[in-house]
Amino acid sequence: MKILVPIKRVPDPQTNIAVKPDGSGIVTDNVKFVINPFCEIALEEALRVKEQQGGAEVVLVSIGPKVTQEQLRTGLAMGADRAMLVVAEEELDPATAATVLKKIVEAESPDLVLAGKQSIDDDANQVGQILASSLDWPQATFASKVEFSADKKEVTVTREVDGGLEQVAFALPGIVTTDLRLNEPRYASLPGIMKARKKELKEVPLADYGVAGAAKVKTHKMAPPPKRSAGRKVETVQELVGLLHTEAKLI
Amino acid sequence: MIEWNEQHLMLQDAVRKFVDTEIKPNLEELEHGDTPPYDVLRKMVRTFGIDAMQRMRFEKQIAREKALAASGDGAVAASEPPRKAVEGDGDTMGPALQLIPIIELCRYCPGMVTAMGVSAGLTSAAILSKGTIRQKEKWALPLLTLEKIGSWAITEPGSGSDAFGSMQSSAKRRGDGYVLNGSKTFITNGPYADTIVFICKLDEGNEPRERKILHFVLDRGMPGLVQSKPLRKMGMHSSPTGQLFLEDVFVERERLLGESEDAAGRGGRAGAKATFSMERSGVAAMALGIVSQCLELCTEYARTRVQFGRPIGEFQLIQAKLAKMEVARMNLQNLVFRQIELSAHGKGMSMAEASACKLYSAGAAVEVALEAVQLFGGNGYMAEYQVEQLARDAKVLQIYGGTDEIQISQIARSLLSH
Repeated sequence: MKILVPIKRVPDPQTNIAVKPDGSGIVTDNVKFVINPFCEIALEEALRVKEQQGGAEVVLVSIGPKVTQEQLRTGLAMGADRAMLVVAEEELDPATAATVLKKIVEAESPDLVLAGKQSIDDDANQVGQILASSLDWPQATFASKVEFSADKKEVTVTREVDGGLEQVAFALPGIVTTDLRLNEPRYASLPGIMKARKKELKEVPLADYGVAGAAKVKTHKMAPPPKRSAGRKVETVQELVGLLHTEAKLI
Repeated sequence: MIEWNEQHLMLQDAVRKFVDTEIKPNLEELEHGDTPPYDVLRKMVRTFGIDAMQRMRFEKQIAREKALAASGDGAVAASEPPRKAVEGDGDTMGPALQLIPIIELCRYCPGMVTAMGVSAGLTSAAILSKGTIRQKEKWALPLLTLEKIGSWAITEPGSGSDAFGSMQSSAKRRGDGYVLNGSKTFITNGPYADTIVFICKLDEGNEPRERKILHFVLDRGMPGLVQSKPLRKMGMHSSPTGQLFLEDVFVERERLLGESEDAAGRGGRAGAKATFSMERSGVAAMALGIVSQCLELCTEYARTRVQFGRPIGEFQLIQAKLAKMEVARMNLQNLVFRQIELSAHGKGMSMAEASACKLYSAGAAVEVALEAVQLFGGNGYMAEYQVEQLARDAKVLQIYGGTDEIQISQIARSLLSH
């Protein structure tokens, strides 16, 4: 089985983000970058499938600036077999990223694409879905459990939906996007880090994919959320109810 | 080596994450609740595959020693120091991978490093450098993987810096073995140790000063061996320290390291001193962890603590403290880089250099940690703030593994001997 895992380089969710004064983006100096947490969960799941099935190939792919090598190397140290970086200095919109991934899927022909449900930087939650529809592949998003049939030809996915869990099954190849509670990603181990140095990390320029100028969505301006103003104390319940009516207009 | 490379940073990152999830939330319990550190340490060793790597390295070394022994010259094989046969290839990965977890652990729990270092470092190294192949296989490997916990017992109530001169612990020949007596104190891991390297003098009725130094391996629960409860101490609470009492403990000859009384060159005083040298060189990495953490905490505090209407970082006296801490951090990092580089080329520090390195590192850690308490003011004196713990932990670096005073005398002796 071959599993393709697309990952994205994003700012560490633990760091404080500051918006540039001109609103063109966020300040990236001294900001730590990591593998998008949902992508990391997808990678962990792929590695578990590989271990359970006693042999599957896990291929990492990312689209991003050259420094994304760091995140790919980390993924290789965790246990992925090889990696590919589409070097793109500009930011792509989800549809364009999906177009690039579609071409990679066609070249690699994996049995499964395991991706994060969304990245924590722009929270678009679109790439997996657009990729599935453009390939005309079955998809299961927000996976909290992934199980394979004995012949490895079919996958059953438990999805976290509003109000409960839903199970869907489809024949491979297909696309699964991962939710938060699917697993807890492992740490890169010492032997893993040593081995990662010798694994393949191929770089391809974005130009090779002919998507220049294809982006339909552009970021115009970023602004920090308004600061929360201080609360107010009220003397009586009547006063509170009154204010909820007249000022907050909640009731 | 002038900076950490991508792989080093990757490991640093992974260990930091581990410390954040496994140690930080349990710090209170580890520091103040007598929870032994071994389960967390074992989990760390397993998580990062350190145990598998140690086993692999050990098996390679033993195979080499066996081949040497089989080639007929057993004596050569046995006296070969452990890693000398390996020519350093200049690759910094191996040594860096050993030091990075030490640095990262010391940001929160220097005691854990002490507990781990004494077991997987000192005790196993003593067996590896002095033991026979059979002894190494039996006792050193489980220590390297932290499957078993080890103690290296040299200090006694009446013998500290003058470790060998005033040593009272004794071995007397009886039949095919020896009868051991004595008491040891300040023994790291003592309360929980499975394997103890016990250092004593062979009593042949001669002058105590002339007696041979012997190393024996003891197991937990041997008749006549008592391991005390953890002693209360100033800092390093996550490292259990205890006393050992031996009353007529009978041991077979197979427990004598090297299985010979005349293993003087590699056993005896020189052997113990080689172990000291190794113990000393680990202190720079520990100090780097403590100092880095203090600096990070202080920088954040200086930015956010407001007095007289502005962040205290705007006051020059606070700036001076931060700048001095940064200088210490840079110096320590360079010392650690030098150690890694030396080790990558198959070299080690001389005793005098290791002493100088320890003297500086311990002093820097104590100074920075106390200044960190000062910078935090009243808060810094409260156990709620981490600098309080780090300041207590740092102090022992100037005492154990040879006091500052002993390091100074060793540096001076080396300078004056030419």
